[in-house]
Amino acid sequence: MKKTSIILLVVIAACVAGMVMLVGDFSTYETFATAKKKEGKEIKVIGALDKSKEVIYDPVTDANYFSFYMKDKSGEVTKVVFNGTRPTDFEKSTELVLTGKMKGSEFHCTQILMKCPSKYKDQQTANSVAENI
Amino acid sequence: MEKINYIGEHLLPGQLGHFFSVLAFVASLVATVAYYCSVRAKDEPAKESWRKMGRWSFYVQAISIFAVFALLYYIISNHLFEYKYAWQHSSRDLETKYLFACFWEGQEGSFLLWSVWQSVLGLILANTSKKWEAPVMTFIAFSQVMMGSMLLGIYIGDHRIGSNPFLLMRQDSPESPVFQNPNYLQFKQFIDGNGLNELLKNYWMVIHPPVLFLGFASVLVPFAYAMAGLWTRKYGEWIKAALPWALFSAMMLGTGIMMGAAWAYESLTFGGYWAWDPVENASLVPWLTLVAGVHTLLAYRHSGHALRSTFFFFIISYTLVLYSSFLTKSGILGQTSVHSFTDMGMSGQLLISMAVFAIPGFWMLIRRNKDIPKIHKEESTYSREFWLFVGALILMVSAIQITFSTSIPVWNKLLDLFGLKKLFNLDDFATPGDVTFHYNQVQIWLASILGLLTAVVQYLKYKDTPKNTVLKKLAWPTLIALGITVLIGWVGRINYIEYGAGFLVAIYLMLFASVYAVVANFGYIFTGLKGKMKSAGASVAHIGFGLVLLGVLISSSKKQVLSVDSMGMLTGYFTKESGQNSRENVMLPKGLPVQMGPYFVTYKGDSVGTADKDKTFFIMEYEKKDRLEDAATERFTLYPDAYLNVRGQEGITPNPDSKHYLTRDIFTYITAVPRKDVVTDSLPYTPHTIKQGDTIFFSKGFIVLTGLKTQPVTKNYHAEPGDIAVGAELYVHTRENGDFNLQPVYFIRDSSFQGNVPDTLAPLSLAVKFTKILPNENKVELEIKESREPMDYVVLKALVFPYINVLWIGILTMMAGFVMSIIQRIRR
Repeated sequence: MKKTSIILLVVIAACVAGMVMLVGDFSTYETFATAKKKEGKEIKVIGALDKSKEVIYDPVTDANYFSFYMKDKSGEVTKVVFNGTRPTDFEKSTELVLTGKMKGSEFHCTQILMKCPSKYKDQQTANSVAENI
Repeated sequence: MEKINYIGEHLLPGQLGHFFSVLAFVASLVATVAYYCSVRAKDEPAKESWRKMGRWSFYVQAISIFAVFALLYYIISNHLFEYKYAWQHSSRDLETKYLFACFWEGQEGSFLLWSVWQSVLGLILANTSKKWEAPVMTFIAFSQVMMGSMLLGIYIGDHRIGSNPFLLMRQDSPESPVFQNPNYLQFKQFIDGNGLNELLKNYWMVIHPPVLFLGFASVLVPFAYAMAGLWTRKYGEWIKAALPWALFSAMMLGTGIMMGAAWAYESLTFGGYWAWDPVENASLVPWLTLVAGVHTLLAYRHSGHALRSTFFFFIISYTLVLYSSFLTKSGILGQTSVHSFTDMGMSGQLLISMAVFAIPGFWMLIRRNKDIPKIHKEESTYSREFWLFVGALILMVSAIQITFSTSIPVWNKLLDLFGLKKLFNLDDFATPGDVTFHYNQVQIWLASILGLLTAVVQYLKYKDTPKNTVLKKLAWPTLIALGITVLIGWVGRINYIEYGAGFLVAIYLMLFASVYAVVANFGYIFTGLKGKMKSAGASVAHIGFGLVLLGVLISSSKKQVLSVDSMGMLTGYFTKESGQNSRENVMLPKGLPVQMGPYFVTYKGDSVGTADKDKTFFIMEYEKKDRLEDAATERFTLYPDAYLNVRGQEGITPNPDSKHYLTRDIFTYITAVPRKDVVTDSLPYTPHTIKQGDTIFFSKGFIVLTGLKTQPVTKNYHAEPGDIAVGAELYVHTRENGDFNLQPVYFIRDSSFQGNVPDTLAPLSLAVKFTKILPNENKVELEIKESREPMDYVVLKALVFPYINVLWIGILTMMAGFVMSIIQRIRR
């Protein structure tokens, strides 16, 4: 067998093994209920901001404390704490993807990804507002 | 429905534009067929006439695409808001330079830009590639067919092909009642457009997309040459013509990617130049495979080995470019990327355009595999071609890992599609929690191997190398590199243990590999090339590559957050999470110096930009000194800015400002400002739990708890026998009104009744209550009330990036090396 073929085989084997290991790194999407069972494990939760509850960010007291309530896909509402500032246009978000872990009854997140209404939606509102003119 | 005659619309540019996009599509189709027939024709005259027809059709398509580009620009620059594209992406107040930025903000514009570049490249190729014109141009023209189809906006049945940038607002939503009015353009919402996203109002947005898309477009050229070689069975002959193009493409794509990185670093607030975001990854991967292809191509040219892998790398590179376009434009990355791309319903079309190149490409490669000439004798372990091949493989492994992890949403879709998800009861996979480390832990080893190979392989000769000469020539560079590595490790105290000792070992390995790559290639210019700069292109590019690795390594492993908020830091400081839970935002009340690392930073106030009224600049004064009362040893002012609450947006869109030093950058940006919409005039007491020496800020200054005093004597507290009373000695500092002392009292009477006597500062309308003692925590609770005008402050982040310049210099050096190589290859 040629050297290059051997190397090729070794590399392919390494890639396959590597991928299997990398899959272990992949996170999963959970709800708060399932997240509670995996307390301390870093996971992702998709949901939406619960606008009826308070959103706290007061830099004068603590510039790194931002908390709000999120309703996950199963409808469960849980308090979320984020060590950072409040993202721009947070109240307008339609969907949130949080990365973090459960700590007791609170979800401590390290990353917030927001989905905002697209510009297309803005345009629809432009059209609908126009009806009143 | 009766026809309405609308007033004030400019329909001609749109009609012309749509006509030209259809013409471009048809002409490119004709060009493809004509060039195809030219290759297949048996006799010379037929070949020649087909070729002419192909060329003229391509001219027509190129001119049409240029016309489409010009017309769309005309619509945007003349603010014709009856067109959806202009309304969506531009507005009247935009500075001229940003009109281009809105041009390519939308998907149609970016396809158009791509198409323009492919047309330019096609025109050059048609006139310079001589006997390769017909087969190469067949693929270029065919690519233009696919590109043109993206701009058609024609319905076939219920299925829309492409998206027409010349769509009118009223065509987009004809059911809207607004458009019943013939004078709808006079309505408020059509006077001005939606405007450009504030984040994109940046000069980088003007220059980065054209360069990146030239990079993407140019990957097509080596692909077309490779395919032409396979098709015409002239397997080895295309190499010479394709090499400068492959180098050009690698240079442009590399420049485009790194411009994106520079943009991310300089003006976006991602806190760095590379975040392993799917969109960044998708553009990096084709570059890796393309560079692999360049190296196997060189190996083939000098030794006859590695021809098949060269074919493979050029075909996969273009496939990956199309795959990256699919990833970023189909909306599939929705939940994993911070760059938002909306789905335009063209995912199917994007997939097809990838398949029509990838499937025939690989199919031909497999079918012609046996015909491709190869050398049966094995390459020697001491030959350059062998190690070039190994290096190309490592690049491929790197590309595979990045693609594998970036494609998580695709895997989910695929698992779902084949019913495997139900079968094994799988959940959707999500991106790893710690994305950066997920990639770094693999890429750092691959980068180290690449660095080592970059250093050593140039010293090997093609075919075979006498062993002792290599060792002799490499001895000095190796020793010097080792010395420098130890020096950097020792002086720079690289001690990044956040991810354990194994990763630190990897960091030192990569440190050595990158230094070695720089030193050895520098040495090679003198010992290998005897100082002939004309042929030093490769060495220069490799020095650049080594510097890039070095810059990346140092700046990320030694990145430092200046704005660490020490408040409450003791709780959880020594826990495992303290590293991740870093509190990186600091609040600065106006006029009060706050310590950050070696600096005292004062927020002096804000001012509104002169060119752009929406922009607010924040004046941050940095003073370098050990203690507040010392004289500053260094003083400078940074002006980070932000768009505040524009266009009904709540919150801010910040832009950083940096102080550049040769050896480091101090990088500052605003993360929050007071919200004007939240009214805070009701006046509750706010509690603060603090210990001795702690500080509480209020609108006019700060309060320090200097001490606790038993048996306090104040005018409002009248001691009774049996009282246990404590007074909080407070020192109050204000900016304008001078310094004061306060002493609120807390007491326990008759061993059960808890009372307190507040103390007030009338001129400041400040009241302080002492409400609790927490003996276990050694803290007290104070409650503060002030009838305040809203306090003015900013919240900011400040980071130090050391030796980031090594990275930028590395990139520039690498580009210079590419240019030198291209010139050298064309001259030959």
